[in-house]
Amino acid sequence: MKRLSPSVSSIDHSHTKFGRLWKTRPLKRHYDVVIIGGGIHGLATAYYLAKEHSIKDIAVLESQYIGFGGSGRNTAHVRANQRTQQNVKLYDEGLRLWPILTDELDFNLMFFNCGNLSLAHSEAAVSGFRLAINTATFSGVKSELLDPQQCKEVIPALDISDRPAHPIQAGMYHPPGGTIRHDALVWGLAKGADKHGASIHQGVEVQGIDVDGPRVTGVQTSHGPISCNKLAVMAGGYGASICTMLDIELPIHPLTIQAMVTQPLKPLLNCVLSSGAYHVYANQTLKGEIATGAHMDPQVNYTTDVTAHYFKHQAEALTDFMPCLEGVRFLRIWAGLADMTPDMAPILDGNVMFDGLYIDLGWGYFGFKSGPITGKYMAEFIAREEAPEILAPFALSRFLENRYMGETATTMKYGHWD
Amino acid sequence: MTFRLTCPVCGARDVYEFRYGGQERGPRPEQAQLSSDEHFRWTQFRMTRPEPQEEWWYHTGGCGVWFTTWRNPATNREEPPHEVERG
Repeated sequence: MKRLSPSVSSIDHSHTKFGRLWKTRPLKRHYDVVIIGGGIHGLATAYYLAKEHSIKDIAVLESQYIGFGGSGRNTAHVRANQRTQQNVKLYDEGLRLWPILTDELDFNLMFFNCGNLSLAHSEAAVSGFRLAINTATFSGVKSELLDPQQCKEVIPALDISDRPAHPIQAGMYHPPGGTIRHDALVWGLAKGADKHGASIHQGVEVQGIDVDGPRVTGVQTSHGPISCNKLAVMAGGYGASICTMLDIELPIHPLTIQAMVTQPLKPLLNCVLSSGAYHVYANQTLKGEIATGAHMDPQVNYTTDVTAHYFKHQAEALTDFMPCLEGVRFLRIWAGLADMTPDMAPILDGNVMFDGLYIDLGWGYFGFKSGPITGKYMAEFIAREEAPEILAPFALSRFLENRYMGETATTMKYGHWD
Repeated sequence: MTFRLTCPVCGARDVYEFRYGGQERGPRPEQAQLSSDEHFRWTQFRMTRPEPQEEWWYHTGGCGVWFTTWRNPATNREEPPHEVERG
């Protein structure tokens, strides 16, 4: 893949009202904390480390440009209606963070609190919804079961008759969810991290990790060696690949996931819609496009390959239960990585394989909605060298102790890795 | 872009005709001597390097044969193994 030059444009914006959001600082040879990955997890961790833990000597190393990976490739849906209490607790706090962050970062994240409607097309899926709704209710998160008629009241374009291949049997309606502008979140966090003293280095690729006995000591990069006291791998789907530099095996399958947008349409989809059985999630963007994502290709890989297969799949699936979309054209398709774990929950750990090494990986396709809140707690983890209580259930050791999180008991069997 | 895999019976065919069966990791360890730690490592833990790996595929949309081939997760294409020395 072509690497971007980290050089900065010669145009000076500093005198204008719209100056640069973050500075390009010289790359030093040593940092207290080095974070691999300039996505929302890495940037949020840098932001909270600098802001709340007074650790300013931080480098965020990004091999491409910030937001190149999953942070800029997701469909930006946010919600807190997962299956397990541990997950819901984290995602719920994350959901409540958006308005606070918008204010703190002084940057419009365009949080659109439009709600989420998930569809069930089988008795098993309805039972899964009941479990998730009970978890949400127990955790104080608003989520309710709708019958097909109520689903149609939320989204009149739905076909609730028996005509579709998988007729709609129920809906799980989650009003607190919605969408965010993902680029704005990346830029806002970069702005905030920079303001509090962290440095962001784009176009710096990590090519090796240095260890001294049980401790990580630094990284080898495309721009020379950099030593550090603590190293955090927060590279999303590429993180598993980075861990192989240390011969670390993880219960992670990196898979490609595709998404696409249609031509702009008049407003017809006023909340985020998803269906496990059809492998569809969709929302209508502020421009009017239907942005929709698909299931994953099953073979492990680190590419962002897109295929005609998913245009066909999405078109067939969407038009089956929303027939008014027939004839609408897709304009654009893209792909990103989802690092799947066996229990659909992330791996958040530190000082287990090597002292000074922290990992924030295995988010699958939940990495976007969890970004800032995880960054907040990973910063605490790194600063205090002790896992905060809310992150403790996500330790890697759960896979060796048969303490899976049970997130797969939601709506369907996801794939061969579960 | 989509890609093609080489089925030993049918030749090069669209990848969507196949089912992915995971990395080739040798025979399953003997259950009798297996600690729970080793068991979970064997069933769930993987090393996905960005270089060619041997893996299992099933030609579900064709002749129905299981076979192994080398594919590179960094490029998503079939590619012969690299000569790598690791300490």
